[in-house]
Amino acid sequence: MEYPEMHKQIVEELLDGKFILSRERQFEVIKENEEFYTIFFSASFNHELEITNEFARLVSDETDENLSRDISIFFAILCYELDRQGKNFLDALQYSEFSMEEINHSFDNSSWIDLIQSNKQLRDSDTRKRFILSTMGKRNIVDKVTDERFYFTSAYKVFIDYAKELAQSSLNDKQNNQTNDGN
Amino acid sequence: MIKAEPKTILYFIWSYFDVLRELFDTQSQEGIIRKEALSLILERNKRDIKSQLIEYKILRNINDDFELRDVYYKLIEFILFEFRPLLPEEIEKFGTAISELFRHVKEGANADKAILVDRLRALSSQIKEFTDSVEKNSIRLLNESRELKSNVSRLDYREKIQRASFWIQYYILPLNSILDVNHSESITNKLLDVSEFANQKRLTFTDEGIRQSFEKLYFQLIQANDDLLKQSKLLTNELLPLIERIRTESLIITGWIEFLQSYNKIQPPRLLKPKKDNPYSKRVYVNTKEYFEQFKVDEDAIIVEDDQEYETWVFNKSKYKRKLIDSLPIENFFDWCSNQLKQDTNEVTNEKVFALTGLLFEDDLEVKSNTEEKVLNIQTKTSKISVPILNVKKNGIS
Repeated sequence: MEYPEMHKQIVEELLDGKFILSRERQFEVIKENEEFYTIFFSASFNHELEITNEFARLVSDETDENLSRDISIFFAILCYELDRQGKNFLDALQYSEFSMEEINHSFDNSSWIDLIQSNKQLRDSDTRKRFILSTMGKRNIVDKVTDERFYFTSAYKVFIDYAKELAQSSLNDKQNNQTNDGN
Repeated sequence: MIKAEPKTILYFIWSYFDVLRELFDTQSQEGIIRKEALSLILERNKRDIKSQLIEYKILRNINDDFELRDVYYKLIEFILFEFRPLLPEEIEKFGTAISELFRHVKEGANADKAILVDRLRALSSQIKEFTDSVEKNSIRLLNESRELKSNVSRLDYREKIQRASFWIQYYILPLNSILDVNHSESITNKLLDVSEFANQKRLTFTDEGIRQSFEKLYFQLIQANDDLLKQSKLLTNELLPLIERIRTESLIITGWIEFLQSYNKIQPPRLLKPKKDNPYSKRVYVNTKEYFEQFKVDEDAIIVEDDQEYETWVFNKSKYKRKLIDSLPIENFFDWCSNQLKQDTNEVTNEKVFALTGLLFEDDLEVKSNTEEKVLNIQTKTSKISVPILNVKKNGIS
């Protein structure tokens, strides 16, 4: 049986929960062999291969709920604070280089400070740095530039899409309740 | 006096919290719980607990209707974090009380001590209630501003601005004046005056008990100042610019606000959890630890340092024999040994004494013991040797 080039690396990285980004060679290999890999991961591990134009990753019922929640809280507060500062947060996530200093400034002065301080990953500058550069970096959600500066990769879109869906379902719920009350 | 046990009442609140919450919501909206509303709520929840609600004094009669007693209302309000917004006049009343009490404290500082202590206590209580009110109010206003920002109710732009203006005009701006340190009449400024006075008196007042009361007040004011500063920052950063902030609306921000308000109850997006497959048993670590613990010695090993310095001494038999013969006759052999050893060596040891004793068996010597004399005690390094008095002469035969 012939396997595509870089097969071992692809399988290892995807099973590690990494986002394989479109700029990487592995991404092209996956794209060229999309059908094969879809069946491969489903049959071998019961995981679903998700490919967009920007990244490839695996999703499954075996989910790290706590980590996902912490990352979502991080994005939520970051977007909220950027918006409050009058910035275009989507543009910032897509194009800007961030520094730990500005992240810390936003978080330490946020009105969500109680939530931040009760979260073990986000409560102070050291844990935040570890969380962003190490934990999120390991999965290719952020790209470390130096010890203090980083970019977000296109993986941020997963979380933005999630926020959009959540908003939509809240709006639908609210509308349904209003219609019922009217009856 | 309430007949029921305290724990019974608390258990009751825990068991029927859903009903209490509905009663709380009703009272928050209507200001009162009409008797029909009460019956409806009890029926809807299928709970026939009206008699207990009255017996435990959770509900109070207002003519034919009811209300939750203040203490329970405030408890539920706090647990749910759903505070009624306070009108600025309700907060300003604390300012008046604080000013008046402070004036009396200053004027009566050298008069009756008992009333001074009472006033200080009352002042402290008013300051506490004031900071509590400010905090609750800020929380409520923050929630309102977030709701406007997220706009799940889909208000149109004009309505949003109207609501925001309402909050700003009647609640936010007045609260800002109350907290603004730069505003000469603000309560925060008055608290600074009290703090200065308390700081002085805690060090200079003659009576120790009252000095301590001033000290307690002073430290309470430091904490209050920090808390109020925090609320003031919130006002400046999020509430005052509310109109600006609601100009833009974003579905994503709406989603994030909804998420942050109940993140514990919502499923976050799926993120693969890497599985670690170990080629050995999961219990390897525990089993190995148990195995090694069998050999663990709990007693302390003590090493005794041997600091004895050994002097190397080799018995020169011919030398000592010659010396002995030159000294004959000797009345007390062991005394002679002892003296020789003391002269020639650093210390007298048993080994050396026994070595010299061997000389007694030489053929050229005649040894007699004087049994009438007592024994001689020789002190060596480690022992005291009791030896007989021995005469040694040249052997007459050789």
